[in-house]
Amino acid sequence: MFSQGGLSLEQAPPISVVMKFFITASLFGLILGLYLLASSSGLLTYSAYAYNVTITHFLALGVMASFMLGALFQMLPVIAGVVIKMPSKKSMVVHVLLMVGVFLQLFAFNTSISLLYLFSAIILGSALLHATTLMIKELIKVQDHSSSSKGMLLSLSSFTIAIVFGIYLLLTLGGYISGDAFTQVKEAHYSFALFGWVALLIVSVSFQVVEMFYVTPKYPTIMSKYLVTAIVMLLVLKLIALFISLPTVGIDLILALLFIAYGIITLHRLYRRKRPTSDATVWFWRLGMGLLIVSMFITALGTVTSIDQGLKSISYLAFIGFALSIVFAMNYKIVPFLTWFHLSNQGYMEAPMMHDVIHPKKAKIHFYIHIAMLVTWTLSILFNLPMIDIVASLLVVLSFGWLLYHLIFAVRKYNYTQKHTEKIEW
Amino acid sequence: MIISSYMRTEHRACDEIFAAAEKHVIDGDFEKAEEQFILFADDTIRHFKKEEESLFPTFEELTGNTEGPTRIMKFEHEQVRGLIGKMAEAVENKDSDAYLSLAESMMILLQQHNMKEEQMLYAMCDRMIPQDVKESTLETMKAIEL
Repeated sequence: MFSQGGLSLEQAPPISVVMKFFITASLFGLILGLYLLASSSGLLTYSAYAYNVTITHFLALGVMASFMLGALFQMLPVIAGVVIKMPSKKSMVVHVLLMVGVFLQLFAFNTSISLLYLFSAIILGSALLHATTLMIKELIKVQDHSSSSKGMLLSLSSFTIAIVFGIYLLLTLGGYISGDAFTQVKEAHYSFALFGWVALLIVSVSFQVVEMFYVTPKYPTIMSKYLVTAIVMLLVLKLIALFISLPTVGIDLILALLFIAYGIITLHRLYRRKRPTSDATVWFWRLGMGLLIVSMFITALGTVTSIDQGLKSISYLAFIGFALSIVFAMNYKIVPFLTWFHLSNQGYMEAPMMHDVIHPKKAKIHFYIHIAMLVTWTLSILFNLPMIDIVASLLVVLSFGWLLYHLIFAVRKYNYTQKHTEKIEW
Repeated sequence: MIISSYMRTEHRACDEIFAAAEKHVIDGDFEKAEEQFILFADDTIRHFKKEEESLFPTFEELTGNTEGPTRIMKFEHEQVRGLIGKMAEAVENKDSDAYLSLAESMMILLQQHNMKEEQMLYAMCDRMIPQDVKESTLETMKAIEL
């Protein structure tokens, strides 16, 4: 009856479900930074193609998908009232297969061994399709969808499409299928992955968490009600256009303009927030929205005039910066809150307060590291100097290392409280 | 939608006072912070009292269910009351870090609690409770004092 549940004891998955995904994501980010460092310092040499696909997929799957799936396991009960039964067991299957799959794919891209493409298609495909289908199966049952739960359903559906296309691409690269539609599928794959999955999930979640965390005015109804549907419809139209060889620039332009409108409105919501705090998470949200606007502005520009490769690279960088900024903002709210929430619900009177788990000052330092990382990568694109690449790579290591340290600290604090402090039975 | 409208207005009013108290803590003005915090605590506890003594019993009587949504809501009220106690201690000790830390937990806890009530429970009350009973419940709630 009370399906629009929430963060209650019965519904919240164990904290370990979320933490293992977040820690793995940070670890993948750290490894990505080391890979970039090894490449920029000349220790590793790969073809430009291998370098680009490795970075893109390590970031999209190892980092972003880990963060986002972990957050979804936690947020589905809160935002959509959806309860995933046996979350520990189901998330473990996804987690292990995803870790193995990401590494297999990394080796496949860098060695071009046919069998590795096949194995990575099977293992990554199983991990991700298992995750999306189990979540979609529950979300479909929701009777009264909020804009957030509907958006989550549509973004998971987009992710499923992107995964299926990804499997097709891997099997083509491995030589297992002819891949006649490789070019069209590749374009559809990243459109559904970036706009349909990453951006749409952030949009959907923001409709509820921006208001909830910062006490902002509601998003305009026209936006919360129709934006996610409009984006998915445009992506489907793009897919059809790609396969019947029609131009897609018009669709790309509308998509970019919709995301710009969303970014501006979110910044305005944050400006009108009632809570006076300007902690790091507010700044991460502001930065994220600013970067989304920049990225989409360049994308829109690219549809009406020709732009050089440097500007395109800045657009990709801005999009990555947008997605990471929001993920970091969510981490610094979710992890301290869940640590406190689970411990206090279990009856630990000395449950650490949120600031004792991760102090806002630590999150603010991460914000500065993140900014420095984005600035140095921009300089690297503009000036192409090896020294700047090395500094930028080091900042990637530092950024994810910083987050990883604080996540591990939160886990240790949690375990310490459970082992060494008094518990009251409710 | 008289129940939803009345209760939602109370939620928003509490948010405003909470934000005002937080602002005074950030500014280091603990005298004003304490004033606002007491207002917030009183209004929140009075709001809970209205639910627990009037709205929830009406809902439970109508649905015959005392173990469903109202049980979860009452459990969460207890969590919020516990945090109010700790925040009162922090504001009294002029401990801004402790206050702001507790305020973070309070805000997330309270907002997700309000979200559930507004999206489901109040909507169900407005839909299921007959108009005359709704009106009398509303009058009873308005008369409840601390």
